[in-house]
Amino acid sequence: MAAKILPVVKLATKVTIAGGALYVAYDSGLLGSGEQGSEALGKAKAAIPPAIEEWMKYFGLQLPTMPKIEFSPVQSWNSGVRWTISSLSEAPTKASDYTSQGLQYIKDLTK
Amino acid sequence: MSEKELGKKWDRCLADGAIKFGTGLGLGIVLSVLFFKRHTWPISFGSGAGLGMAYANCQNDLRSHYMLHRSEKEQ
Repeated sequence: MAAKILPVVKLATKVTIAGGALYVAYDSGLLGSGEQGSEALGKAKAAIPPAIEEWMKYFGLQLPTMPKIEFSPVQSWNSGVRWTISSLSEAPTKASDYTSQGLQYIKDLTK
Repeated sequence: MSEKELGKKWDRCLADGAIKFGTGLGLGIVLSVLFFKRHTWPISFGSGAGLGMAYANCQNDLRSHYMLHRSEKEQ
């Protein structure tokens, strides 16, 4: 009798777990518009440090504090773009200057 | 659309894409383990569907500036 119900119970459990996962994803706005998604991301970010604190207290360990990294990829990218474009725009002028200087030097040598 | 607004929209698009990719990946893993005998295709299907949803959201968001919305329709 139990052997007959077991596959049904297994299927029911699997469906419950999958349905629960889908419901959680839908309810926390992960599948909605862009603003809902960024809201959820903000909430998750805000909730991580207290959660880590709780876990650390539970395990009795102490994570070394993360050093504050003052690195902004956006700033680096923007300054890189600016440097590239400015050097590209100055390149013809600089090239002609260097060629004229080189020619002058060679002329001086041959005088 | 000002530069600032456009930048914010792109930020939202990227964040949304990351979230939906992760959600799709997670749901794909759950479904793959539970129902599909640990094959890989549900995982790729889920992440692809997530990316597609993010793409559609982003497209809608970027176009919304140039569309006429129902609230602005004059009688």
